[in-house]
Amino acid sequence: MSDVRRVLRENSLSLGFGALFLLTLVGQAFAGVADLNDQRVSDGLDPISLGRFLTSSSFAVDVMENWQSEYLQFFLYVFATVWLVQRGSAESKKLEEIGPESDEKQRVGAHAKRDSPPSVQAGGWRTAVFSRSLGLLMGTLFLLTWASSSVAGWAAFNSNQLGSHEDPVTWLGYVGHADFWNRTLQNWQSEMLAVGSMAIFSVYLRQRGSPESKPVGASHAVTGQTG
Amino acid sequence: MSTRNGPCAAAFIGAAALFVSGCGSLSADEVQSVAASFAGAEDDPAARCQMLTANVVEALVQDAGASCEIAIQDLPVGSGDVTSVEVWGEEAQARLTDDTVFLTRTAQGWRITAAACRPQGADLPYACRLEGA
Repeated sequence: MSDVRRVLRENSLSLGFGALFLLTLVGQAFAGVADLNDQRVSDGLDPISLGRFLTSSSFAVDVMENWQSEYLQFFLYVFATVWLVQRGSAESKKLEEIGPESDEKQRVGAHAKRDSPPSVQAGGWRTAVFSRSLGLLMGTLFLLTWASSSVAGWAAFNSNQLGSHEDPVTWLGYVGHADFWNRTLQNWQSEMLAVGSMAIFSVYLRQRGSPESKPVGASHAVTGQTG
Repeated sequence: MSTRNGPCAAAFIGAAALFVSGCGSLSADEVQSVAASFAGAEDDPAARCQMLTANVVEALVQDAGASCEIAIQDLPVGSGDVTSVEVWGEEAQARLTDDTVFLTRTAQGWRITAAACRPQGADLPYACRLEGA
């Protein structure tokens, strides 16, 4: 197997989803500009170009409000699964392992191995930060994308306000407005539903070969196994 | 005169706030110029009519039963100085000392979508004597 094929195969999960992300984002751009222009033409306004749409608040808010909720989902899932468990779920750790677990199990401090990451071997604050780095990154990305969502949503809202011959509002005014919370909560609720469903469905259902599922023959009562 | 530009929403992570004041000063200048020209054309109704969007002209002619140039003279369109401009995406608002006008970006540049507007209170649209159907 050539080096290129080997790299592609060994990274197919991230590369595959990266490609799907780009394809769907491009699809969203084309569908979004067509939808917006349908609306503008029916309002007696000129259609706008794809380039103008891509730098518009309308496109930005549609992208950002989805990104923020996805990062919230993973941030909560990474943190919540330290403490919350589901008997029989492939998405849960074992019931007796609730909490941050021992240094031995986590291979930190005196239990660090020779191949442990440098931040683990360093000890002190570097290990403390690295021990939470996945959740911290997801939480940070959530806050940044949520903030961006509020700014893009504010711009889109004010554009609609002016189109309706109403005064624009301040950013604080928008963050307290029903439009912002409607956009935010409609995305959050779907993420909570998806996580909760997955936790329960993986108790009773299987997907052969998937690490998101227990082995097909595993008992419904077995918790924390992946196949 | 104060100007306010909507964020250039290409700004995604983090940098979004930087764009609130950064993008669109060119648009604000254009809006300010069109609004000032519209207000200043008090004695040139034909010029004012050319600055309206097509659907505003259509609504005006239909309502008045007269040409745009004649009908627009009967409306209390402001002629004062532009005191502030707000641009958000394809839409804009210009406040005059004696009126508030709304504009939209068209292929021919910024055009007036409403004028002779009076505020009706918070969260309510302006009542505009000149606007599209």
